[in-house]
Amino acid sequence: MSYQEKRTITSTVSGIVMLIAYSIFAISKYNSDDTNFDLKDWATTMLIFIGIGIVAIIIIQIVFHILLSISIAIREHERDDKEIEKRIKAEIVEDERDNIIEMKAARISFMLTGIGFMISLFLVVFNYSAITMLNTIFFSFLIGSILEGFIQIYYYRKS
Amino acid sequence: MKKNLKIQNNIRRLRFFADEMTQQELAFKAGISRQTVIAMEAGKYSPSLELAFRIAEVFKVDITEVFSYKKI
Repeated sequence: MSYQEKRTITSTVSGIVMLIAYSIFAISKYNSDDTNFDLKDWATTMLIFIGIGIVAIIIIQIVFHILLSISIAIREHERDDKEIEKRIKAEIVEDERDNIIEMKAARISFMLTGIGFMISLFLVVFNYSAITMLNTIFFSFLIGSILEGFIQIYYYRKS
Repeated sequence: MKKNLKIQNNIRRLRFFADEMTQQELAFKAGISRQTVIAMEAGKYSPSLELAFRIAEVFKVDITEVFSYKKI
């Protein structure tokens, strides 16, 4: 499995964890019938989740890079330091094929997010609340980013 | 009428004649990942013109010796 695949899996798993955490929160809030929890509170909660998500992804990526470097250093322990450094650089190189795969996945993910936005507009037309609309948009973004990861893995596996 | 082109390459053969250069070595010299080399050798990925020239430069041959096309 290549570095890019491992990195994509790591960020996709982080996205799934965030989706599960937010789903648990949203469902429990919906079921609690808390009338004081208005649109502003939902927006604040979403911003907090986005902030936590970004920080978590950065930390996970840093830890991932450290672990990857250590694993390469252990595997190549018979070689000198310069050679090990060269191996690490060669392992984490990002080239044009990676960029093409990223763009293909981003395009499909963007389409899904767009569909989610359309659904949220229809929900408003059919008299659903603004909170439902906001949550639909947020979920479509979350699912879109997770799907982006899966599509990337699919393309990496395919070629 | 537009005809489709199939890009073929001789990377595997050229690696063999370059003292059995490894895929990792070629990847490092061309500034790409080993997975991209694997994909190209398997005919699953056609590189950009820039990368094609870089690969030809690694083997010190003309680009047409590395890549060719077939009308399908």
